[in-house]
Amino acid sequence: MKLIIILMITLFIFTSCTSKKIDLPDQKENKMETNLLLEDDDFNDEFSEEEEIVDPLKYYNIMMTSVNDKIFTYGLNPIASAYDYTVHDNIKVAVSNFFSNLMYPIRFVNNVLQFKFKNASEETGRFLINSTVGLFGLFDLAKNEFNLSPHNEDFGQTLGHWGVGPGFHIVLPIFGPSNLRDSIGLFTDAYLDPTFSKERKSWKIPNNNNESILLNTTRVVNNTSLKLGQYENLKKDSINLYPFLRDTYEQKREQEIKE
Amino acid sequence: MRIFFLKITIILLFLSSSLIAIEENSIKEVMSIKIDQVLKIISNKNLTKDIASKRTFKILDEVFDYKTMSKISLGKRYKSLTKEEKNRFQKAFENKLKTSYLDKLDLYTNEKILITDIKKVKKNRIKLYSEIYGKTETYKIIYKFHKSKKKQWLIYDVNIIGISIMKTYKKQFSSFLKENSLEQLIDSF
Repeated sequence: MKLIIILMITLFIFTSCTSKKIDLPDQKENKMETNLLLEDDDFNDEFSEEEEIVDPLKYYNIMMTSVNDKIFTYGLNPIASAYDYTVHDNIKVAVSNFFSNLMYPIRFVNNVLQFKFKNASEETGRFLINSTVGLFGLFDLAKNEFNLSPHNEDFGQTLGHWGVGPGFHIVLPIFGPSNLRDSIGLFTDAYLDPTFSKERKSWKIPNNNNESILLNTTRVVNNTSLKLGQYENLKKDSINLYPFLRDTYEQKREQEIKE
Repeated sequence: MRIFFLKITIILLFLSSSLIAIEENSIKEVMSIKIDQVLKIISNKNLTKDIASKRTFKILDEVFDYKTMSKISLGKRYKSLTKEEKNRFQKAFENKLKTSYLDKLDLYTNEKILITDIKKVKKNRIKLYSEIYGKTETYKIIYKFHKSKKKQWLIYDVNIIGISIMKTYKKQFSSFLKENSLEQLIDSF
């Protein structure tokens, strides 16, 4: 009998060393409590009581958030809905593919700047395939036929990748939530963006400012028409719109930089 | 007699450990079945919203740990609540989560959803990775499981395109509660 008890105890000790824990009945309650405490600590680690982030532009940001909200609700959204009603889904996807293909220089340069050379070469492969057999980028054959997915990187992410912090949050007119780092990123990427230009030169498409605005309006309206209802849906989750959009934006960017 | 005891002990040991193992190993299968079931319900246009929502949560309630979620959402503040307040908040928060989830399902238009990976990140944590293939973009969704005190694996947070819903709720609640009461928070749901 003694032997069995010893055997049982050794077995229990052994199994409790592995991840599959088995508790002795009389210790169970005690252990449960410590487990619970441990769990709580774990959650505290993951969801730490963060201090309010530094937000020197808070009042301007709140104002601009509500301006942007109005622009979106009464301007962009009705236009995109009308566009959505008249334009077939396949065309919208093709237009979105076309613009996305044009942004290749931004993705290529920023992948290289982050030393993601494999992604950069895949981006080049995507650009070559989609610009030729994909009919000027209207079809994303690279993804659908060759299993080459895009690697979205921008200069804000490049800065973040090399350790530049976000800086203070700033809500840009029309563009929406951003921060100091990402605003610098946007400005830099605009240089690589073929649709942003006052005049026609090398890789820039528009001949003048008006054409540049027209191109970008088309892009924005088309992209919005593919995401109808998402903003309103997200808005419902907020108690207070500005801090909600600010925090979700910063979380999303942090994740994008990590990837 | 000795051998009999020994056999029983060994059998019991194997049984109990394999029970836990099955649960852990089957998360991927269980979740993919549940996702399919929910998608079937919401694409059935004959169902009223009420019935669709009831059936949806009959499937999902057993994997979501609403109690832990409401605890996380209030952080330290949770401990200072009375039992009655805790219960009331938990119920209200559970409803809020469900309404928000149903709203998100409203946007669903036949996109393909795939479970892509599962990782045990800690002894008591598992992450289940899934992707929704939209018309032009792919959205990443991560379901985060913890091992509850009843040794079950339950979801305590969902990460949607890099945004943790629990982190977001927690931040919102803590700044709201600086100037308002718990009652007002519940009313705002």
